[in-house]
Amino acid sequence: MNHERTYSLVGKGVNRLKNMSSRVRTGVVLGIGTLVLASCASNAPQDTWAPKGPNAKTIDDLQKPVFAVAGIIGVIVAVAVGYAIYKFKDRGQPIPEQTHGKPALEITLTIIPALILTVIGVFTFRTVFDLSKTSDTEMIINVTGQQWWWEYDYPVQEEFGITKPIITSGQLVIPAGTKVLLRQTSRDVIHSYWIPALNGKRDAVPGRVHTNRIEADEPGIYAGQCTEFCGLSHANMRMEAVALSKADFAKWVEGQLADYKSPAEGSLAKEGESVFINQCVRCHQVNGLKREDGTPIIAAPDENIVSGAAPNLSHLMSRNTFAGAMFDLLTEECRKEVWGADSETFGEKYLSGVSEQCLNQSDLRGWLRNAPAMKPMYANPALLASTGGKYRGMPNLGLTESDIEKLVAYLLTLK
Amino acid sequence: MFTTGSKYFIALSVLSSIALAVYLIFVGPSSIGGTALFGMIAATGLLAGLALSTRAGATETAVGAQAAMTAPSSSMWPLVSVLGAVVILLGTITTPIVFILGIVVVLAAIVEWVIQAWSERASGDATYNDQVRKRILNPLEYPVLATVGLGVIIFSFSRVMLAIDKSAGAVGFIVVASLVLLAGILFSVRPNLKRSLVTGICVFGALGLVSSGIAGMGSGLREDLAKAAEEDHYSHRECGPEKSEHGDKLPLESVSAKSSVIATIEYVDGKLIGMVQGIEGNQETLTIPRSNPSNLLFRNKTEGEFRLVAHLGERAVTEGVVEKIEVCTQLIPAGAEQLLTLTIPKPAADKPYTLEIAGVEGQSIEVVVP
Repeated sequence: MNHERTYSLVGKGVNRLKNMSSRVRTGVVLGIGTLVLASCASNAPQDTWAPKGPNAKTIDDLQKPVFAVAGIIGVIVAVAVGYAIYKFKDRGQPIPEQTHGKPALEITLTIIPALILTVIGVFTFRTVFDLSKTSDTEMIINVTGQQWWWEYDYPVQEEFGITKPIITSGQLVIPAGTKVLLRQTSRDVIHSYWIPALNGKRDAVPGRVHTNRIEADEPGIYAGQCTEFCGLSHANMRMEAVALSKADFAKWVEGQLADYKSPAEGSLAKEGESVFINQCVRCHQVNGLKREDGTPIIAAPDENIVSGAAPNLSHLMSRNTFAGAMFDLLTEECRKEVWGADSETFGEKYLSGVSEQCLNQSDLRGWLRNAPAMKPMYANPALLASTGGKYRGMPNLGLTESDIEKLVAYLLTLK
Repeated sequence: MFTTGSKYFIALSVLSSIALAVYLIFVGPSSIGGTALFGMIAATGLLAGLALSTRAGATETAVGAQAAMTAPSSSMWPLVSVLGAVVILLGTITTPIVFILGIVVVLAAIVEWVIQAWSERASGDATYNDQVRKRILNPLEYPVLATVGLGVIIFSFSRVMLAIDKSAGAVGFIVVASLVLLAGILFSVRPNLKRSLVTGICVFGALGLVSSGIAGMGSGLREDLAKAAEEDHYSHRECGPEKSEHGDKLPLESVSAKSSVIATIEYVDGKLIGMVQGIEGNQETLTIPRSNPSNLLFRNKTEGEFRLVAHLGERAVTEGVVEKIEVCTQLIPAGAEQLLTLTIPKPAADKPYTLEIAGVEGQSIEVVVP
């Protein structure tokens, strides 16, 4: 009996759909299809409904009930409007008697939304204040945005073994279960830092330092995206926060503080070092790199780039990404292994860095061959009059295939 | 076949197409100009189509229309347009500002001219036509005239104030303000004052001010300002412990609570202390991102006047000659504070960057640029 009723209802629904005009029918099918397909995403690393730390959970605890209340009100309003449209549509009936004002109803309909907004406001303010707390900070990291990558520098913090500043880019490495305060600023235009699994958005504004709390419950990689339009490659300005267990984080710090090791004489990597000194140190710093006469090499990105900075490439192969986290340094298989690792084995896999077998040679070589062809940047020398010849992003250096071969060999040594 | 209106838009469309072809051949296919010209073709094409389909501006509608009964009145706008054209010409050989001013004059004259010509044909009644012109142009003319008038007054007055002695300037200010006040009182208590007298007083005052301004410009800056401009001593900041004649004049002693600082540096009872939000305790090193203006808040909590100095290495001036790179606050009295903004493009090569108090030994905070 129930089945018959169901079939009957489905049959009626199909008949109604058939009776609709083709445009309405297409709209209905597309709308339902979109709704159904939207719930099917399995790989959504920037899902705002999947908090992985206490700050994101605080937001989640607020947004779910607010969304529920707003959804219920939305449905009530939609149903009421739909009912009124259907019930009172023009069928040629006479216009009913017109009345003006109904104080009791009007006051009720004003007070109810005001009360709802007040309750939401109280919880929202509490959340805002909770998220702006800085007094319980355990670790600070300076985050500097520029077109179109993020730089992270770790000031001296002895309790984490950071005895001299560490600088990196693309991937922010933090100890899991630690309250980290990001001190954000920008070198050029306004950017916005957002790793949905760890906290909400926070603008990085030139000349200002904005604080942003993050904390990850478990080791893992959490993806993010710049959320303030910042120019040509805004969409490619990504970031990843890598949370490591405290023991693994200590190992990471140790690796970052390790002295520079020049490649062995006569090796391809040693030739690559020369190419790097000739071509790359105009912008990219590698800490500890020295000239033949023993003087340290200090990069001068301020003379070549609008923002005055380029990613510091010391220990490049300890990261998994390059070019503002737009490209992976790992091949797809190796990256899957790191991203898919459980929290127990994640640290070990991440700390193993990028080996020759796992290096994404294709993208790295493509980048060295012609970077502007891979990422939109203002890097055409003929169009730089307004910036005094300074680039926004990496230019095409015109490297030969032989130079690229040597450079790749050299970069692989920057562990 | 073609209406008058459509011919205009068709011609524009054809000209734009030719311009686009020339642009694409001689400039390049991906430039913004090509896009703009293509938009122009599309827009004028659309308007031509609309004009054709609606027969707008068809000549037959004008057949039989009577010509204006009165002859056009004399107009100063052709003369102003020519003046604007001369200014544009001058601009091409002097500065871009003059060129832009010429374009503004020409455009304004054309707008006035066109609307005047149009309004004179609005009807056969000259008074009505004048009202139509005023209704359209007065809302534009009054603000522009007021802005230009105020600009002339302010500019003339500033030239006078820069030319005369400081104390004479104060007296002059009081005198002029008193005269304006007196004139205002006179106009308000005597509302029936002759219009010509009021106009005369205003014109006299304006002419007096403008001629004083011209005289001020002619005599140049007063001596101390001329000396300051010549020596550019405001651009030099002396970072020693002694008081600088110019650099330490009227120090700013408080900083807005909304100021965003990367670190706070305090000089407390003879000790230099660095504090960073989020890190407990006093810091012996500060990390500052390279090439990024970073604000340090310096607070003096020691009796006496002190300045914070950032020692940022050395630079070669000429071969064999180097100079120290130093940035500093003004001399700050006890209980006061000031911002010091550091923009450091490179990490220290050999000797570390430091923050110190001028003239005080043994107190230093290292600045690290990673």
